[in-house]
Amino acid sequence: MYEIQEELKEYYSELDPKKRLEILNSFPENESVNFLHELYHSRYSDHDNKGRKNVDWWLWRCICLHQLYSKGGLFRRFRDKEVKRIISELYMEDSSHQAILYHEYRNLARRYLSTCKSANYASSFMGFKKADDNEKVIRACKDIWQMSKGAAWSAGVEDEMHLWIEAFHDEIEDYDSLCKEEYERLNSKIRRK
Amino acid sequence: MNENKFMSAFKANAIWLVFIAEIAIFYYFNPKFLSLPNIVSISRQVSYYGIASIGMTFVILIAGIDLSIASIVVLVNVVCAHLMMNMGWNMWLAIIVSIAMATLIGVLNGFMVSTIGIPAIIATFASQTIFRGLSYILSGGLPIPDVLRYDPSAGLNGDPILGFFARWSLNHWDIFPRTGIGLIPVCAIIMVICFAVGSFILNKSYFGRYFYAIGGNEEASELSGIRVNKMKYLIYALSGFFAGLAGIVVLSRTGSAQASSLIGFEFEIITCVVLGGVSVAGGIGHMSGVIAGVLIIGSLKSGMVMANVSEYTQMVVQGLVLAVAVGFDCFSKKRQAS
Repeated sequence: MYEIQEELKEYYSELDPKKRLEILNSFPENESVNFLHELYHSRYSDHDNKGRKNVDWWLWRCICLHQLYSKGGLFRRFRDKEVKRIISELYMEDSSHQAILYHEYRNLARRYLSTCKSANYASSFMGFKKADDNEKVIRACKDIWQMSKGAAWSAGVEDEMHLWIEAFHDEIEDYDSLCKEEYERLNSKIRRK
Repeated sequence: MNENKFMSAFKANAIWLVFIAEIAIFYYFNPKFLSLPNIVSISRQVSYYGIASIGMTFVILIAGIDLSIASIVVLVNVVCAHLMMNMGWNMWLAIIVSIAMATLIGVLNGFMVSTIGIPAIIATFASQTIFRGLSYILSGGLPIPDVLRYDPSAGLNGDPILGFFARWSLNHWDIFPRTGIGLIPVCAIIMVICFAVGSFILNKSYFGRYFYAIGGNEEASELSGIRVNKMKYLIYALSGFFAGLAGIVVLSRTGSAQASSLIGFEFEIITCVVLGGVSVAGGIGHMSGVIAGVLIIGSLKSGMVMANVSEYTQMVVQGLVLAVAVGFDCFSKKRQAS
């Protein structure tokens, strides 16, 4: 559904920001590539202006969405406001570059998932009990669900975030065979509510 | 409200229901449990638990642990009392120096955990031993008594500057335990302010989000631009700071500094925090739950004292509460994963 040109595939499969920039710079200039440059700078710039290097701002906003999912009660208004801000910052309202955004979101989800194989991920009891591979996959699926479908559902913005949800869903389904069932289980939880 | 929403609200506030049930049980067996003097007494007792648990909450949120809290509290006790009673320092100066020292110990813990890479449980256990030992050395193994009758004019050796500060601070020492706004003791007010600050940090500041992020997925946090190592320094420093503040409150409450006091205090603090819903796996927990955890442990201790339960039995009960709280956390994680 979200077809892209063959030459862009390498760009989307690469996770390292420096290598991505090299690939991006090798493309001839056109409207799509200009938009890719815009996205690149939006994603890898320090929006807080704290002079930090190697920032993946979008990954940070993913983590924020993950946290916002569980915010409720007194912090409901804060959560809704913040989710709307993220929608705007991460171009989720842009309807003219759906394919580019879809693949950028999938790249982002893949970068998050690349961190979910580390030794400490999903460990418990202050890192002493390490998680096995299945536990890591289940936890990664839960994280992805919470930062996409879960966050959108809790803030009531599923329509505005549909592309984001779709990209994250497709990425997690390709990640591991266990994820499809787990994702569906998490979805059914909110359907019951 | 449908059934699922009711269950969610019930689960979210279950800790407060436990607290209410506990109060009801103790009240049933001894109506004096809810008498005004006892409530004031509990509020004094929980104040230092509450203050120390804020730092521990931050540490556990990043999937760490700080076993040196009790030793920091005791060292602050001994150092502050020593500076005032043996060296004639001004009270406020002694307090500031002691808390600064506690914060530096926190930074040292951060250095061991973050820069050297020693596991938090080992690094802070080493600190615990070192600073407990230093407390014994400094106090000669003897208590420093009568801090509440602090006379700053003694031991000044005629120093005019110290003498000035000493006169200024005369009779100020007992502000923490004795006075308050109405019936609310000052130490309880300090605890409330600390909880408000802790809650603000966790819920409204970027630092709070960093804490949750590091506890949830450290590698992703690093990639997203968070300086994880610096954050660890900050968190352990905050833990030291709050432990130092708790130490001052303990000193003002007990009126004497003793290197052998507060054995096992760190585990009581861990119990409060974990009971309050902060996951030992990191990344999950709220300050409101910790407040409930502190109140439950404080009331439990007070209730058991009123029911004439022996100190040894109290230890057994507290150990059981810790095991149940951590066990529940691990069990719920396992259930979610299966």
